[in-house]
Amino acid sequence: MSNHPLLEVKDLTTSFFTSRGEVQAVRGVSFDVSPGEIVGIVGESGSGKSITCMSILRLLKSNGRVVAGQAHFEGQDLLKLAEHDMRKLRGDDIAMIFQDPMTSLNPTLTVGEQIIETIIAHRGSSRKAARQRAIELFELVKIPEAASRLNSYPHEFSGGMRQRVMIAIALCCDPKLLIADEPTTALDVTIQRQILLLLKEIQARLGMAIILITHDLGVIAEVADRILVMYGGMVMETGSVDTVFARPNHPYTQGLLTSVPKLRTAHKERLRPIPGSPPDMLRPPVGCPFAPRCLRAMQICVGEVPPIFEMGDQQTHKAKCWLHHPDAPTNDEGAA
Amino acid sequence: MLAYLAKRVGMMIITMFLIITLTFFLMHAIPGGPFTSEKMLAPEIEAALNAKFGLDDPIWVQYINYLKGILTFDLGPSFKYPGVRVNDLILDGLPVTAQTGFLALLCVAALGIPLGVLAALNQNKWQDTAVMMFATIGVAIPSYVVATVALYFFALKLNLVPTFGLDDWRGYILPVVALSGFWLSFIARLSRSSLLEVLGQDYMVTAKAKGLHPFTVLFKHGLRNALIPIVTVLGPVVANLLTGSFVIEQIFALPGIGRHFVLSISNRDYTTIMGITIFYAAFLMVMILIVDMLYMLLDPRIKLAEKSK
Amino acid sequence: MSDAKTSIPSKNWAPARLGKGEAEYIAAPSLTYWQDVRQRLWQNKPAMLGLTFILFLIGAAFLGPLITPHTYYDQDLKLSNIAPILEVYEVDDGQGAPTYFFMNSGNFKLYETNEHGALKSILRAKKKDLIKKRHIYEFGDQQVFVDFSQLPARLLDAEENQLAVYGTKWNQTYWFGTDSLGRDVLVRQLYGARISLTVAFIATLVNFFIGIFYGGISGYFGGNVDNVMMRIVEVIATIPLTLYVILMMVVLQSGFISIIVAIGTVFWVDMARIVRGQMLTLKNQDYVDAARTMGAGTWRILTRHLLPNTIGPILVTLTLLIPSAIFIESFMSFIGLGVSVPMASWGTLTSEAVETLRAYPYQLFFPAAAISLTMFAFNFLGDGLRDALDPRLRT
Repeated sequence: MSNHPLLEVKDLTTSFFTSRGEVQAVRGVSFDVSPGEIVGIVGESGSGKSITCMSILRLLKSNGRVVAGQAHFEGQDLLKLAEHDMRKLRGDDIAMIFQDPMTSLNPTLTVGEQIIETIIAHRGSSRKAARQRAIELFELVKIPEAASRLNSYPHEFSGGMRQRVMIAIALCCDPKLLIADEPTTALDVTIQRQILLLLKEIQARLGMAIILITHDLGVIAEVADRILVMYGGMVMETGSVDTVFARPNHPYTQGLLTSVPKLRTAHKERLRPIPGSPPDMLRPPVGCPFAPRCLRAMQICVGEVPPIFEMGDQQTHKAKCWLHHPDAPTNDEGAA
Repeated sequence: MLAYLAKRVGMMIITMFLIITLTFFLMHAIPGGPFTSEKMLAPEIEAALNAKFGLDDPIWVQYINYLKGILTFDLGPSFKYPGVRVNDLILDGLPVTAQTGFLALLCVAALGIPLGVLAALNQNKWQDTAVMMFATIGVAIPSYVVATVALYFFALKLNLVPTFGLDDWRGYILPVVALSGFWLSFIARLSRSSLLEVLGQDYMVTAKAKGLHPFTVLFKHGLRNALIPIVTVLGPVVANLLTGSFVIEQIFALPGIGRHFVLSISNRDYTTIMGITIFYAAFLMVMILIVDMLYMLLDPRIKLAEKSK
Repeated sequence: MSDAKTSIPSKNWAPARLGKGEAEYIAAPSLTYWQDVRQRLWQNKPAMLGLTFILFLIGAAFLGPLITPHTYYDQDLKLSNIAPILEVYEVDDGQGAPTYFFMNSGNFKLYETNEHGALKSILRAKKKDLIKKRHIYEFGDQQVFVDFSQLPARLLDAEENQLAVYGTKWNQTYWFGTDSLGRDVLVRQLYGARISLTVAFIATLVNFFIGIFYGGISGYFGGNVDNVMMRIVEVIATIPLTLYVILMMVVLQSGFISIIVAIGTVFWVDMARIVRGQMLTLKNQDYVDAARTMGAGTWRILTRHLLPNTIGPILVTLTLLIPSAIFIESFMSFIGLGVSVPMASWGTLTSEAVETLRAYPYQLFFPAAAISLTMFAFNFLGDGLRDALDPRLRT
């Protein structure tokens, strides 16, 4: 991997200011993405994974604000960029795909128009050239009869096809970073796989970096290089997919992995769901956000947020858990 | 599209026929003939009048005759003004009603929508509060109250505008304001909530994420979609501007159709009541058709729904 | 936050004592839907203000006329067009007995009052000089001229000096003044409120039942029944309803019952559509299937499962239907097609006030204010209810 990350997020903190108080959606998230890398962010709904990406692209709802942190993209801090320059980056160098292709496309414009306007906005090309490019993109994402389908409206497409349209729009300016926010969640299971494979194939061909947000560990295992496990607005564990899946070092990651059904286990194992529900981010726990649900919680976990510990096995493998403090009592159950 | 249009026009003709029939029989269900109420008339004169207007024919003959008249755009004679036909009364009032009505509609669209947009874009800020306050007042106060209070202050007290008539451009101000007040506020509220709804849609985030210019995002993606529900109510708005004009023309003594209508009611001039009702209904049908066409242009999903039927 | 390297006292490493169910407790407390609705409605100040006003109005409209000394139909032509606020003058008759009076600026007549503003009677002019446009009144040996050669009219004493106002008093006899027939405006106002509210409530109720019935049947049965019924609704919806109400009123002749019938039978279309829409979406919900599997009959499903769940939007439509019924009623009365004399409604009161607008503008104030405030109140309540029932729609 290259030494210069494409995107470097440091201590990102985002809050929403509602009538009921401040909702601390993201609390000090740091990670980086190298060029050409696929980073998977996994977490339950409300863990702050989507908000992290929306903060980076500065597409938060009007009551949301990045309170602190930096997000360097090719050296410049996106959070300090003038809105005008930020706009030029969006859809060009950084593109995004959303969860629900049913609602993410404008129902009153043809899909062709929705691609063409993006190309024209960034490339300033003629309508004709833009249309030609749109046809190429449709072929790239494998939409049959590309030229004639450009004149269709979103409601004339199936869910999977619409997501392909969304991907085509995202790809129209050869982005360096593609953020895919649960791109398969709203689709049928069979379609999900097609879209994932398509993303992977396109990544291999065009070589952009991808941040893939999902709550589906299977998706991460299939396509991502690196994984970020988020909970309660914080990164709980991070590392290469292989390492984290083989040796999860955070009780939450361990919980997540044991709650996923496996087909190829030797003996019939009971699925173990994680008890409890995610914290209320209006009043997040003082200590580790996972402590209230953690079977191995200690006094300190309740009172203090754990720092990040580097795991010995691999440089990039880190976990935010007191169990890895040198003074912590050794208890080998579960921890590798 | 053409098939749909044909279907709509067909529906319209059926509806018109129903309205004409309903109106005709309602008017003839009134106890006593149109001339019985007048004490001065001797029985033989009344009989002569009945014969003159064909009122001694059986009701179905009268009905057929009336339908025949309508097919040739003839709404029959007025019972109260000798020698005057209902057509003349309508043509006489049409310019005034059309002018004030059109100006009011213009006010509703050209002020209501921008005010709503302004409020939505500044949600919970002072602009929003101001627009919503104005709109709440406008929706709550009935048009005839606005008209009379405005008449008192601006015409009688301050002498800024004439109390009646349209000889001067200033004469239009109060009638148009009173006529459009409610619907202006209504459209402002509707535009605001509609745009807010659209602004919260995922495709608006998509549009922003594509790096489009804020104006493109707002107008091409936001407003276009937000206009759809607004356009659907424009038909009823026109209808209500028309009925609203009855009172407004009365208060400001404007010689429009509405005034003829209200006068014909108090005169029990049944042919005029009937004729003007039918005229209004026909006008409204056409307006609603136009609005529907506009709606189809804005929302491509409608066409599909019709095709698949 | 502590550093990874600092050592930490060992007691902190003891297992955390989390109570049973602690993990579940973390989530925000949940309320039932109706508790939530009630809470949101209580917190909505305009809606509560509207509700308070409506309750007050209902109370005043039904109890008010019982406790006032006047009736809505009693005329006293001698005391017509008296304003609610009087500029009282004092004149001494020379023997030390003061007389208090005020001038009606509309008809230049003087009326005697007591010093607090309670009305006694009309005063007779000694002489009417129509050439110099003045009336001469005598109080003992004092003379007072009403000079209306120029407007506004002035009160002059014997030396042609303008009289000084003794005090501005609230009319103690007729709090809101009297109308052109000398009837008490306050009691007519309250009576008008009673008529307007009664018409609005009954007409809304009639609409409500027709709408529920029609929409319920259409939505519940679906298929062809639904198709035909909705076609009919479509046709009705294109007919301008105000016109239809006018026609009905012309046919039925104006009156209290007619206006209820006319409004009540016309405005149910929206209600029917909403009920039908709710029915259609709810019909396919799992809990209805569940109820059907358990052998519940059509009627039971309709009343126990579907109606309670459609009540939200219906309630909102209902609260917004009332002000439009009030409006239509007053509109009809205003153009002379509403209730008939001597009954009063806000519409008739307004149109009566318009006739005397030039001379007695205050007569417009009360009916105009009453109807506007009532419309405000119902609109606030309706908006509040809508926000409370469906926070998603909150804008």
